[in-house]
Amino acid sequence: MLVATGCSIQVTSQPDPTIPDDTMLINADRGNPLFDRNFNPYLTNTRTASRWMYEPLIMINPLDNEQTPWLATDWTLPDADTIEMTIRDDAEWSDGEPLTADDVAFTFEMLKEYPAIDIKGAWQHIDTVEVDGDTITFELLTDDVPALPIIGATYIVPEHIWSEVEDPATWRNEDPIGSGPFTLGNYNQQQYSMDKNEDYWQADSVEIEHLILPATNTQLDTVTRGYDWAYSFISDVEGTWGAASESNTWWFPPIGIIGLIPNHDVAPFDDVHVRRGISLALERAAIADSASEGYMEPAGQTGLILPNQEDQLDPTIPDSGMIEQDTDAALAEFEQAGYTLEGDRLVGADGEQFSFSLTTANGYSDWTRAAQEVQRQLRGVGIEVNLSLPQPAGYQQAIANGDFEVAIGGMGGGYVYQAYNSLLSSEFYVPVGETTANNFARYQNPAADELLAELKATPDPAEQLELSHALQNIVYDDLPVIGMYYGGSWGLFNDAKFTGWPSEEDPYMAPQNYDSAPLMIFTRLKLANGDDQ
Amino acid sequence: MKYIAGKLGLFVLTLWAAVTLNFFLPRLMPGSPADAAIAKLSQNGPVTEATRAAIEAQLGVPDGSLWEQYLAYLRQVVTLDFGVSYTFYPQTVSSMVSTALPYTIILVGVVTIVAFILGTLIGVAAAWKRGTWLDSLPTLGGSFMSTFPYFWTALLLLFFAGYVLHWFPTTGAYSATTTPAFTPAFIGDALLHAALPALTILVTSLGGWIIGMRNAMINTLGDDYVTFAEANGLRGGTVAIRYAARNAILPNLTGFGLALGGVVGGSILVEQVFGYPGIGYLLFNAVIGQDYPLMQALFLMITVSVLVANFLVDILYGVLDPRTRR
Repeated sequence: MLVATGCSIQVTSQPDPTIPDDTMLINADRGNPLFDRNFNPYLTNTRTASRWMYEPLIMINPLDNEQTPWLATDWTLPDADTIEMTIRDDAEWSDGEPLTADDVAFTFEMLKEYPAIDIKGAWQHIDTVEVDGDTITFELLTDDVPALPIIGATYIVPEHIWSEVEDPATWRNEDPIGSGPFTLGNYNQQQYSMDKNEDYWQADSVEIEHLILPATNTQLDTVTRGYDWAYSFISDVEGTWGAASESNTWWFPPIGIIGLIPNHDVAPFDDVHVRRGISLALERAAIADSASEGYMEPAGQTGLILPNQEDQLDPTIPDSGMIEQDTDAALAEFEQAGYTLEGDRLVGADGEQFSFSLTTANGYSDWTRAAQEVQRQLRGVGIEVNLSLPQPAGYQQAIANGDFEVAIGGMGGGYVYQAYNSLLSSEFYVPVGETTANNFARYQNPAADELLAELKATPDPAEQLELSHALQNIVYDDLPVIGMYYGGSWGLFNDAKFTGWPSEEDPYMAPQNYDSAPLMIFTRLKLANGDDQ
Repeated sequence: MKYIAGKLGLFVLTLWAAVTLNFFLPRLMPGSPADAAIAKLSQNGPVTEATRAAIEAQLGVPDGSLWEQYLAYLRQVVTLDFGVSYTFYPQTVSSMVSTALPYTIILVGVVTIVAFILGTLIGVAAAWKRGTWLDSLPTLGGSFMSTFPYFWTALLLLFFAGYVLHWFPTTGAYSATTTPAFTPAFIGDALLHAALPALTILVTSLGGWIIGMRNAMINTLGDDYVTFAEANGLRGGTVAIRYAARNAILPNLTGFGLALGGVVGGSILVEQVFGYPGIGYLLFNAVIGQDYPLMQALFLMITVSVLVANFLVDILYGVLDPRTRR
């Protein structure tokens, strides 16, 4: 029989001693629990590493949206409905063929023909694509400055291979030929490896020789297998990841906003005083603490993620948009909406207590904890909140169809235009019962629409900033949604073998090991035990 | 013959009802497969309208009216071609099921048979030696162990035998660096990976067989024909096995038939905990992802095996017990 002497047993990291110092063990690809051999970067079930073999035109840091030239060396917008890009001349495919502007044009024409793989929606912005030497010109459907990052993030594939493919929307691309820093090495259903591409156009900046990606399924595995890089929200990171090895570090920057989405088509949430009352009644620090175990800061009411987007912030907005809990002010707002506090109940004109249901997805434990904290705090101003917890698919359906009163949801992130557009634009407005992909709050404001249209059409940074300030003020004053706390990006690193991970001091890239972000990180990492060059 | 025909008719009717329920139940779940895919994606940031449109186009779900879908589904059932999985697009349902099925059949199937034989024998011994330690130990132990929840036993075994003591691998059906092949090295490796999940299922299912057998056996031991056999001076072992156990095994045999039918369903929690690539794991993912084609194929497989097992047990009963034939 087992006898436990303490109440906790420390699990330590057990790195595999046969993995050499120039080889990185990455926890980035979940098997189910086995891998399917699918390296088609446009499919949702692709192997994670396919997006490190096919590169974007422009590298975008999801934290601050800084753009770095990648397969495109530079780009201009001669006017608001044209983008011209120059494609680099020193990149080649891993089979030795050169990568040219024709490959880029081919990629876009293919996405046009197969909308199922146009996952970034490039052809909702592009009218025509034309090649002239190493320059590629995109004529856009309308004045559409924010189309640049969407077009720029497209994965480029080789024409000489993909033009032979019968249906790229179902093709598994089992033996990928890409342009990235690594090529596929050994593959089996539980693990695959990648080897450095010596002919990579930035080969000089890549010190890692091999990557190993096992199929991983549990957090215990994440902590014990000796990973150099993992990405996971982990409870008590100091006591688990941090305690498992001396070289384990982590960085959790904010990357999105978690907030309350009131349904503006459902009374009384169409009343700004009700929304403001709820906002004033919340103690955001406590919500952030409880939801994210203290790793994330409370969010302000501007729709911006701070400090990442500090340069966008309107300095005239008090306290950078932070709203402090103020019960008296909240009750004053509710009073304007016709609700008065009677004893410990906030009562409306009909004599009934103000109550609503708060919808969140079952199993998103941080959101559930936030919902419970909101429920507790609003009880303090006499509001009864009932939690509704459908499964994630049911939750998604509820918010898309407007079948909710107030929901918890993620927002913000990405470019200022995209963030505000998906939050505020009445273009996405559909009545309750119909499906929308954005603006779940069903917010309609002609002033916001006008600002968004202007922002979309102006390439002038000063003008963009001015419009961004105006949009922040709309979010701050009209509370289409109520920001609560930041959602994190959960980078877990080990710096025994590799150093130079992104950090608070050097936030050159979000610490995520999915999508294109690792391409940038691979070029920045140095071997810790390498010969000092 | 009339007995078999009657049972066969009932079997076909039950099968149709199960097949139909199997179609409608997944569709009563809130949300669509696209919602499930988007919910998964949106954990990495807001999903744009374009992405939603691309996903819906990729999945192509669901086509036509419910009635048309039902007819298409019946066609699939007859031809056993369930098309492409939504969650694991573009993998086909049949390739996924055929990859997962051997793992489950070997793991759960072997353990079910071992547990049945072992449990029944221990039950016989316990009933025969009732009142001694040979009775109290397995009976108490069995009822104690059968109250352990599967996943709890699994987690404990995984943590102590896997992570703390490093006796067994903690995840997967074989080592990441080996390739499946019929070599002694691979088979040994696979057995080592199956040890903890197998032990979990054995520990939690053994008790039921022991107690079921013991109780049925104690009833028959009180019957006149057993006393008569003993009075005739037959050897104890002969009386226990050939007289008492043979009659007492009927209820356990029914249970065994049903358990065998349930084998193809795998063991969702055990496979989940050990990352074992069987049917249970697949089923869990299918439900989470609202993968109608995969769910339909799996549920159909499970219902049909349970029904067939049930039918066979019915027939077997007719053979073993003449009273049921009337």
